[in-house]
Amino acid sequence: MTTRRELLAGAGLAAVATQMPAIAFAQAKDAVTIGMTLEPPTLDPTSGAAQAIREVTLQNIFEGLVRMDRTGRIQPCLAESWEIAPDNVTYRFKLRSGATFHDGTPFTSEQVKFSFERAVAPDSTNAQRQLFTPIAEISTPDPATVVIKLKQPTASFLYGLTWGDAVIVAPASAAGNKTNPVGTGPYKFARWNRGDRLELARFDGYWGPKPALARATFRFMSDPQAQVAALQAGDIDANTNLSAPEAVAQLKADPKLTVTIGRTEGETVLATNNAKPPFDNLKVRQAIAHALDRKTIALGVYGFDVQLIGSHFSPLHPAYVDLTGTYPYDPEKAKALLKEAGFPNGFTCTLKLPPPSYARRAGEIVAELLAQVGIKAAIEPLEFPQWLERVFRNKDYDLSIIAHTEPLDIDIYARDDYYFQYKNPAFKALIARISGTLDEGERNELYQQAQRMLAQDAVNGFLFILPKITVAKAGLEGMWTDWPLPVTPLAELRWR
Amino acid sequence: MSVAVDKAPGGRKRRWLSPSFAIGAVLSLAVVAMALVSYLWTPHSPTQMAILKRLQGPSAANWFGTDQFGRDVFSMIMVGARNSLAVGLGAVGIGMLQGTVLGLIAAVRRDGLLDHVIMRTADFTHAFPAVLTAIMMTAIAGPGMLNAVVAIGVLNLPYFARLARGAALQVWTQDFIQAARAAGLTSRQITLHHVLPNIAGILVVQATIQFALAVLAEAGLSYLGLGTQPPNPSWGRMLNEAQTFMAAQPWLAIFPGAAIALTVLGFNLLGDGLRDAIDPRLRRSR
Repeated sequence: MTTRRELLAGAGLAAVATQMPAIAFAQAKDAVTIGMTLEPPTLDPTSGAAQAIREVTLQNIFEGLVRMDRTGRIQPCLAESWEIAPDNVTYRFKLRSGATFHDGTPFTSEQVKFSFERAVAPDSTNAQRQLFTPIAEISTPDPATVVIKLKQPTASFLYGLTWGDAVIVAPASAAGNKTNPVGTGPYKFARWNRGDRLELARFDGYWGPKPALARATFRFMSDPQAQVAALQAGDIDANTNLSAPEAVAQLKADPKLTVTIGRTEGETVLATNNAKPPFDNLKVRQAIAHALDRKTIALGVYGFDVQLIGSHFSPLHPAYVDLTGTYPYDPEKAKALLKEAGFPNGFTCTLKLPPPSYARRAGEIVAELLAQVGIKAAIEPLEFPQWLERVFRNKDYDLSIIAHTEPLDIDIYARDDYYFQYKNPAFKALIARISGTLDEGERNELYQQAQRMLAQDAVNGFLFILPKITVAKAGLEGMWTDWPLPVTPLAELRWR
Repeated sequence: MSVAVDKAPGGRKRRWLSPSFAIGAVLSLAVVAMALVSYLWTPHSPTQMAILKRLQGPSAANWFGTDQFGRDVFSMIMVGARNSLAVGLGAVGIGMLQGTVLGLIAAVRRDGLLDHVIMRTADFTHAFPAVLTAIMMTAIAGPGMLNAVVAIGVLNLPYFARLARGAALQVWTQDFIQAARAAGLTSRQITLHHVLPNIAGILVVQATIQFALAVLAEAGLSYLGLGTQPPNPSWGRMLNEAQTFMAAQPWLAIFPGAAIALTVLGFNLLGDGLRDAIDPRLRRSR
């Protein structure tokens, strides 16, 4: 039964709909709608590992003592300045005056102490608790000063403070941050329609320069085709990272849109079980390295050129050194190395692939390239829980393909019992030295040594950096092209 | 098939050459021929990648175009036919062999405990949605062509068990069975020498129809990534991979989709035609 009320409601909607274009037009210059593939499970970056949480909240709702800029450099944020004492373990932060939380609570050194002690507490749910374990003591001589003493020199400490896990929260609001986040950032939480959109509004009490846009909306669209359609129709003004690389050509042809292919911290590797014969043989690993035609792999996966790598390091870091020439593509050399290693006719092995399409596609090409030098790699697709269980935890694998997206994570090769099973005391010693070296030039020198060691040992097949595919309306400026950290700082956006 | 009646009721000649039967036969033969030829020749290697030639439209060099890795789609469809038919054959083989044996045993022991156990188990299996069960089985046993064959085969089993039992029960009531029995033949001998030959025709008809369903089920499993694994080409997986390219490169979806549709149609029409010819009583009114 269609009631009169329903008919009236329908008529009302129609009336609103006809007025909508005018409203949208009037507001277009101070609002932005950004598409994302994954929806954050919560809005609290201090209690969950999901990247989507950081993408929407970090540098928007929440801020840390320091922040990372678009070029990957550390900049002051809630800390106006800092100095490291000659003992290399005492950090003295001078805090920003006049900063307040969105609920009016003034920002003081007490909250810094609270946030870091909360993160390292035994019952902490912080996903990167290890960032805070080097802290020996936090003291607050006055409301605008924090002194942090570390147990030993830790070079990555400041870098870690740029992450979402290290944002400053207030004791009164911390518990509610998952659904009602209260931070010190330029935007405050407005509304969250789960499964659809998150709305943020400019925070008028912000300590820094006033952002150009008054309102911002993140829309969650898990279907990449729907994202493409929404971009073309103008329903969304930009997206953070398009998960449909096959649509790039089509979007690039659209004059209303600008498409940029940027870089991330996602080193994609052909993970190799270094402890399992025949992969424990350096010659076999070198043969695999010579068999991998990175350019072909990247082009087959994406259809456009992406950044290739020769070691486990992102070019977004100043210490990056191009090592793609260490073992250039040379199938004949690969065959010769296999022969020297005692496999004149090659061998068979498995290639276990997790679900992301970059891994599945790269896997098919890698299997074909390996077959050309005599290594028959049987493809085994796995679901993510299975992959984590079998490959990552139990190390029950020969080869696999996965992107390691944590920033500056070359130290994973020094971890005991990590799934690559690269047990090299020299590398471990090098990483320990890096951690104790606070001089940036010296440290970068050591990072380069570490990159070379991994490349020469052909620990993994080093393939490419996951691209960040940013699409934006032609008039929108300020979207990050690269992702030294997966964030979307709304305060940097403006309409031309 | 020689056991089937030679004349339709009323003495009318059998209609072997109904148009739909002819179309079915031609389509099925074409697919079989394509699969057989693929063992000897394909225009290109179906696994050879040529990244620089990726996503090219149909042309003289690549009749059905190339995929995202620059592989020749026509060659992949030819070899895919081989895989689809192999899965169909294997699955129907498993189902027909075991289902028929169980159905015949049930017919011998009609209304006995064994009959009830077999037939209720068959009903139970039959009650589950077929493809869903196959997904569950391959999810447990791991994806792969062999597991797909077994999963689809097991689902075929109850069809053949029920059909064999029903048809066999009919034969068991015939006079010549009484005669065989009087001559001292055992139930097993009667089943093998008299019952089985008389129900073979109808089983073959069912097999043709189940074959079409098995090809479709394989395509479905492969689409979900649970069937034939790369680099072995498979129509279902080709469709899956094509969907992200559909807007700009529609041929990647059209050709494997058409291959699946035409194969299923062909074997269905063939099965219908055979049924009409072999058992006129089942002929649908036209």
